[in-house]
Amino acid sequence: MRILLAEDDPNISVIAKISLEKLAGHQVTVVSDGEQALNEALTQNYDVILLDEMMPKMSGLSVCREYKSRCQEPRPVIFLSAKSQDSDLREFYETGTGFIPKPFDPTKLAFQIEQLLKGTE
Amino acid sequence: MTTIRFRLFVFLSIFNAATLTLAYVGYNTFQVFRQSRKQLELSYLIRDEIAKLGSNRPTSTQLRRLQSFRSKLTPPRRMEEFSNLIQAYNEGHYAGIQSRRPVFLKNEAEFQRYTREQMNYLEQRLVYFAGLTILMLIMNFVGLQIFLHRSVIRPIQSLSRKMVDFLNDRYTYQFSVPSLDEIGHMQSTFNSLAQRVIQNMDELRTLDQAKSEFLSIASHELRTPLTSIKGSLSLMRSGVVGDMNEMADNLLTIAENETDRLIRLINDILDLAKIEARKLPLTQNWHSLNELVEKCLKSLQGLAQQAEVTLVAEAMPPIQVYMDDDRIQQVLTNLVSNAIKFSPKGKPVMVKCEIGSDQKLTIEVRDQGRGIDPEDQEAIFQKFRQATNSRNPLVKGTGLGLAIARALVEQHGGEIHVRSTPGEGSTFYFTLPEWRFSNSKNAEVAA
Repeated sequence: MRILLAEDDPNISVIAKISLEKLAGHQVTVVSDGEQALNEALTQNYDVILLDEMMPKMSGLSVCREYKSRCQEPRPVIFLSAKSQDSDLREFYETGTGFIPKPFDPTKLAFQIEQLLKGTE
Repeated sequence: MTTIRFRLFVFLSIFNAATLTLAYVGYNTFQVFRQSRKQLELSYLIRDEIAKLGSNRPTSTQLRRLQSFRSKLTPPRRMEEFSNLIQAYNEGHYAGIQSRRPVFLKNEAEFQRYTREQMNYLEQRLVYFAGLTILMLIMNFVGLQIFLHRSVIRPIQSLSRKMVDFLNDRYTYQFSVPSLDEIGHMQSTFNSLAQRVIQNMDELRTLDQAKSEFLSIASHELRTPLTSIKGSLSLMRSGVVGDMNEMADNLLTIAENETDRLIRLINDILDLAKIEARKLPLTQNWHSLNELVEKCLKSLQGLAQQAEVTLVAEAMPPIQVYMDDDRIQQVLTNLVSNAIKFSPKGKPVMVKCEIGSDQKLTIEVRDQGRGIDPEDQEAIFQKFRQATNSRNPLVKGTGLGLAIARALVEQHGGEIHVRSTPGEGSTFYFTLPEWRFSNSKNAEVAA
């Protein structure tokens, strides 16, 4: 799979990239803020988009809304967030495809993404 | 500066002096009136006697009677005339009687007329004075009321309204200029007091805010690097960097364990800080106690098996407790896992819920471990205090578990304690104030 990962913490993005590339064999592109994420998502073709909720310039949720309104065939969007209140979760699931809580276990990240994608098919 | 005391003094002095003067003048008038009345009565008596006597010589009793009147007569000129007349009677001086008697009777009639007139006038004056005195008293009363209302009661009421506002957090900085008397002084004292309290409250609020900010920053700043470290370590462990030799593997294990410990410690510290700062709101509801105990013991079954300890829950009455179930489970889990850690192999850990004779619900966790020395029994509830002269090297913890448990129980309004005999084991127990039997009707509704 080709995956777009938008995450502002470089350590986390390195860990996620290694985890998804080395353990699961996916191809990961990393961007570090909301605007880049939106550009990438609209111009390139990805299979799944991972968005951190708290990012500079644009939040994950607004990137997702913008992306879905401007793209005819939007790809699944999964949020990464440390927020865990019911209202937050509801918003994640209503706006995107799903949500992976932070901190995530890098050895299970690919599996979690697969599970969320399974639900959409 | 006119104090209330001074004003009251002046007011009362003036009114009382006026009232007293009036009363004094009235009393004097009344005395004159009484005197006149007496003379009038006397005059009637004397005239009657003299008229009865005519020109006859009086008997000795009659004469004595007439003589007794003499000294009471005023003014002196009347007394003198009367004396002369009596003298004439006494001496049987007929010509004297003839000449003096008509003159005396005429004068007495004139005196009576004059005195009656004077008495009428005095009577009017008396009524007038009485009226004036009563009016004065009423004015005194009304004036005092007005004075008290204006200078004392109204300022006190306004001050007390201000205090009530202050109590209800509706204090405004609108200061009317306080008057220069005792109450004004009290008012300005209260104003300064209120300002100081508000200032202190503002400071406290700022401090509280700083504390909250610190908590959220600390939890974010501490957790972020730990997350990266933990992620990196688990990726290394998963083999992405290739096979590791034994030494690398050992080092990795140390790094992993210590990272886990650090994460636990930070979570505990932040938990405790949040509870102490009241930033961890309880979501309380009615929950079944039995279910909670069951859930808790189930989750600790693995640990118990590892330690070869059996977990026993004694039969309990069906009870519901008003609590934050996650938090109370955290407390119970802490107590039970401690008990497991300190239990020798093969011994049971008992969990028991009891309603005491004082209707208090107590939850007990009993182990048969080595017990806790009396001098340590209070210390173990403090932060970072463990009874660490441990012969059991497996016992590892952050030293915050019991402090957190105590904070949580106290936040629920309960208490947590331990009783222990060294060598025979320990019993940790805590109380929860709000409970009910779950077979009551309310329980069904709540369920």
